[in-house]
Order: sequence, then C-alpha cells, then structure tokens
Amino acid sequence: QDLAKKNTANRQVVEQRRRLLEEWIAWRKNMIEMLEDEGAEIELNGGVIKMEHDGEVEEVE
Amino acid sequence: MRPILLSGHERALTQVKYNSDGDIIFSVSKDHVVCAWFSHNGERLGTYHGHQGALWTVDVDPTSTLLATGGADNTMRLWEVKTGKLLKTWDFETSIKRVEFSSDGRQLLGVTEKRSGHLGTIVVYEINPDPEAEQTSEQSLRIVCDESKATVAGFSYMAIYIIAGHGDGSVSQYDAKTGELLYNTPVHEPDMQITDLQWAPDRTYFITSSKDKSAKICATDSLEVLKTYQTDTPLNSAAITPVKDYVILGGGQAAMDVTTTSARQGKFEARFYHKIFMEEIGRVRGHFGPLNYVAVHPKGTGYCSGGEDGYVRVHHFDKPYFDFMYEVEREQANL
Repeated sequence: QDLAKKNTANRQVVEQRRRLLEEWIAWRKNMIEMLEDEGAEIELNGGVIKMEHDGEVEEVE
Repeated sequence: MRPILLSGHERALTQVKYNSDGDIIFSVSKDHVVCAWFSHNGERLGTYHGHQGALWTVDVDPTSTLLATGGADNTMRLWEVKTGKLLKTWDFETSIKRVEFSSDGRQLLGVTEKRSGHLGTIVVYEINPDPEAEQTSEQSLRIVCDESKATVAGFSYMAIYIIAGHGDGSVSQYDAKTGELLYNTPVHEPDMQITDLQWAPDRTYFITSSKDKSAKICATDSLEVLKTYQTDTPLNSAAITPVKDYVILGGGQAAMDVTTTSARQGKFEARFYHKIFMEEIGRVRGHFGPLNYVAVHPKGTGYCSGGEDGYVRVHHFDKPYFDFMYEVEREQANL
C-alpha cells in the first residue's frame, strides 16, 4: 500500500512538471512571436548584434 | 573542470560581467580598479584606472567597444575597452549603483543613490558607439524615484521599458521614452531590498534577487511573477543560464551578520535551480564570503562569481551539466 502511495505521489510530481514545462513552452512561443511582430532582431538573436560583413570591408594596410 | 581563480582585486568584488562573445570578463571591486580578464584561462588583459572610490557596477556594450562603470566617487565613466582610454566622465551628487547598456548599445542608464537632500534617480544618456566620438553630457531622460529608491535597473527588449527594482522590494516599469511610471508592483517581501536584476537573452523576462532570500522571474510586459526560487540565505545576485533551463543564485550571510554559531557557516555557495520546475539541483562551493554577483557566459558554457572575499571564480561547465535532464524534458525533446 505504501508503494502504491509513493507511486501516486511520484506520478503527481511528474504530472506537475509536465504541466509547468508545457506552460513555459507555450509562453515562450508567444513571446517569440511578439518579438517577431516587433522586428526585434537583436533580441531574437539572443542579444547579439549581427555584424554586417557584406558591404564595407575594413582594410588593414 | 577546476574553477579558475582570478586574484587581482584587493577588496570585495561588487559586479562581474561577460562581454557578448564571452571571451572577456570585466570585474569591479571596492578597491577602485576595473579589471578585464580572458575567461578561458584567467589571464589578466588589462585594468582601467581613474575612479577615486569603491566601484559598484560595470557593463560592456554589445560590440565590446565601450565599457561603462559607476561607483562611490559619484561618477559614471565610459572607457574604450581596447585601449583603456577614459572617454567620458559624468558627475553626480551621489554614488552610481548600477549602469547598463540597452541591447543595441545606443543608450546607457545609471542608477543614482538616495542620500539626504537627494532622491534616487535613473538617468539615461544616448551613446555614440564610435570610441572617437564626443559623448553627450545631456541626459535624454531622468526618472526621479520618489516612492522608494531604485537599486537596480535595465532596458527591456527594444528599450521599450526601463524596469527597475527598488529598496522596498517592488519592481517598476517605466516608459523608456517619456520616463512615465506605467506600473509598480510588490514582487519581493516588503522593505526587503532587490539586490540584482538580470535579463533573459531576449529581455522578455528577467530575474530578481532579494534580501528576502528568494529570487523571482517576472515577465517584462506584465511584471507578473512567473517563477519563485526560495532559499535559506539573503541573495545578492541571480542569473539565467542560456542552453539549459537553470538559474544560478548567489548570496550568503556576511560573518558579522551571522548571530547563531550553530548555523552552517556562511553558506557561501552558488545555487543552481531548475528555471521551470523551481527545484534546487545543485550547489557549488568555493568562496570564503558571500557571493556578491553571479554572471553567466552568454553561450551558456560556464559562469563566474565575484565574492566578498575578493576573488572571482570562473567555472566551465562539464558534460554532466549539459546531459542532465528531467524525465519530462527528455519526453519533450523526443517529441
């Protein structure tokens, strides 16, 4: 009976984690869509500014 | 891998920061000196001299060109990273507790301390990213915190908002263009100071730490508390790790504040929690005093901590760190 109780408790913990993970993933998806709508290039690139390598090239003499 | 010990400071560390590539660590201390270090081997790259008092804060712009610092000499300063040249000094009536660049590096904010006759403020300057250019002395924005002083602040995604943490445990959202207070909400225990505020890489959420022994993740837009991490020690800092869904918390009770001798001394450990499940997953010992700041490598490959003991400890994560997964995470990954 103890074992059965433990299993139920474990299952609840796992269920709870599954729910938290799903909630988080859904919220993140919303945030990324929002950033895309706003055209937030730097933020969508993890805070890193994309360097323009085409166009001007710095020449070292 | 064994941590690398950076021993160049003579007094307590107050803030440590990685640049956006993660190859350089900047550190500031009460010893008045700013140091730059190579993160992979701990070699010191250079120092920035000029401040006349304890340093409280440092930040580097996203292209690793400009460095901002602030401290107890009531100045905020701008330096060229490469040459160590002092480019600009802004003078204030009180100390500068926090500096931070916007994600595009075009704006810099400073948080000024409250003192008799002076309310705490948040000031903003437009920054010219060219190190040769003259920098402005004109503030583009000045927010006066008449309710509770700000202790930490930063720019949201796209610098739409300025988010500030206060001495009374609340968090504010300001319009970053007009300075208008849009929203203020108690996040931590009343009158428990917010000690740190660090962003997620895309700045849509952030983590705060507090003397109330907890850290919280809030949404930038709504200021809703999404996650709470409860510990047993006052916290000075909290960071969000990219790649893995963890947070790293640092703090500890200073020796003079420890009243019970039976208590495990100090608890000077970096604590790892699962960001989503809010469960503690591990601790890293090492410092001989409270951790005053924790910073995460922008690529999620390691972290460093600055301690009251005067050391910076740089850790590179091992394979088990990356391999560790909860059952439900593995399920999700296999979908």
